[in-house]
Amino acid sequence: MTLDAFIAERQARWAALEAAITTARRGRLRAQSASDIERFGTLLRQASSDLAIARRDHPDAPVTEYLNTLCARAHPLLYRGTPWRLGAIGPFFATALPRSFRAAGPYIVASLALMLIGAIAGWVAVDVRPDLRASLVPPSLFDQMARGQISGGVQDAPFAAAFIIQNNIRVALICFAGGVFLGIPTALVLLSNGWMLGTIAAAVRIGGYDVQFWSLIVPHGVLELSVIVISGGTGLMLGDAILRPGQLRRGEALARVAVRAVLLALGAASLLVIAGTLEAFVSPSSLPDGIKLAIGGTVGVLLYSWLILAGRTGRRRRAFGFDRPAETPA
Amino acid sequence: MNPTQLDTISVKTSDNVTLGYTVGGLGSRLAAQLVDNVVAFALVIIALLLYGAIAGAYVSGSQGEAFAEGGAAAFAFFVYFGYFLVAEAVTGGRTPGKKTMGLRVIRIDGSAADFAAIAVRNVVRVIDLGVALIGIVVMFFQPQSRRLGDLAAGTLVVRDRAMVSLAAAVAPPPIILRTPDAGPGIDGIDRLGNVEHDALRVFLSRQGLTPALRASLAADIARRLLDRMALPPGAPERLWPAELFLERVYLQLEQRQR
Repeated sequence: MTLDAFIAERQARWAALEAAITTARRGRLRAQSASDIERFGTLLRQASSDLAIARRDHPDAPVTEYLNTLCARAHPLLYRGTPWRLGAIGPFFATALPRSFRAAGPYIVASLALMLIGAIAGWVAVDVRPDLRASLVPPSLFDQMARGQISGGVQDAPFAAAFIIQNNIRVALICFAGGVFLGIPTALVLLSNGWMLGTIAAAVRIGGYDVQFWSLIVPHGVLELSVIVISGGTGLMLGDAILRPGQLRRGEALARVAVRAVLLALGAASLLVIAGTLEAFVSPSSLPDGIKLAIGGTVGVLLYSWLILAGRTGRRRRAFGFDRPAETPA
Repeated sequence: MNPTQLDTISVKTSDNVTLGYTVGGLGSRLAAQLVDNVVAFALVIIALLLYGAIAGAYVSGSQGEAFAEGGAAAFAFFVYFGYFLVAEAVTGGRTPGKKTMGLRVIRIDGSAADFAAIAVRNVVRVIDLGVALIGIVVMFFQPQSRRLGDLAAGTLVVRDRAMVSLAAAVAPPPIILRTPDAGPGIDGIDRLGNVEHDALRVFLSRQGLTPALRASLAADIARRLLDRMALPPGAPERLWPAELFLERVYLQLEQRQR
């Protein structure tokens, strides 16, 4: 077929596809009905096959470049993942997040182990060399504990909460993103958080402020440390994908794991809003220590019942994050 | 479209058709970043002014002040990075900066970047910008100018090519004919096909050649065509001027196709 005949025969379909593309807004197809989308799919596939023919028969003709541009613009309008809707947030927390948590189990255990190693090392360091206590733990902490006041008081609690929430979310996201460096920054964050907890815990034990200290940590700490451990786990997943990509290329393995793990990391990070609120309002409050510890315990039981039990089905599904096939027609 | 060129990539789609994309280079990416930074910093300033007004009215005590200050820094961080995340998620990978520079985020298989991919590349942006601008270093050495966030998300920033209009693409360029006459029938014309027809059209529609260059090009093409048509050594066509010969071959191929 000559170029002219080729163009004359198929021109109308290309124009129709082009018209459909121009109605798309914000990278999304504005289709009036299902049959519109079907027609778009047909037009795109026809144009794609025309492009293949044009490449073979008329590689230098301007129409080949035109078809390439046409298909390159139309393709992502049709081929895309599940669109993100506000209504998807409920099911995400109800089922997808707990499932992702369970699927990431081994990494979260490894992440917990790193934090515990840091904590034990910190505890042992202070226990063996009590003289280092002053350099490891700020002395003002003890003064404040002795006086029974630790924070700015509840009147500034909203700002304390905002600060704590944002700071912790930042740490959690860095734990995830650190995965691109083989998870080394992630491991360092986990170790240093554990170290801090271990040294302070050992120091307050020596100082005899055990109950006050734990009542100050536990109400929010159960949730906060769990989230850091979970996001640490997602970071370790990324690192592992780079180190052991299996049959895939390293980049591909990383990308596959990352798009699944990011939703777990973001979902877990959002729990820090609750943790930060507890940390600012409940932990430093004048509630009896017993009640504070009970609040922490309740939060812990609720958190882990949800993460372990929610979203289970009869069939054992390995649904990690949202089910997202590589390419789904919209 | 030359697939071996460094700044173009070929994406094999699910329809098993190869699409050519031009990769957004370091320069245009940085320019887009600059435009987005202007927007993001404007938002940060507005947010901090609001935050300052609220904090000024309610904070009491020195520890509260310390928290408010720390909160402001953290708040700025979130507004800045949040802008990129939301802008990319809402526009389908075309933030105002990228739009200005004609860039777009796609997944490496050519499909649209979905929320998860956009989330990954924007969370990892913290590392790309935060760790000694390592993203720029990685982009410099990465053949497709992908930063760490792109590598982690399986995305790629490509140039949105201006749509060539259909009319311009399909309109054959004007043919320059010196003698619009097909002349006597040429014997071996059956041995020629579309490829030769297109090649001749490209040659005949080419403008701005000096007469000497045109003549020497024509002689070269004519020699190859004569070989392909396997005309006997004494054929009269071999004596025609090369340019006239090419025009006649072209016109006869045209006639055959009608």
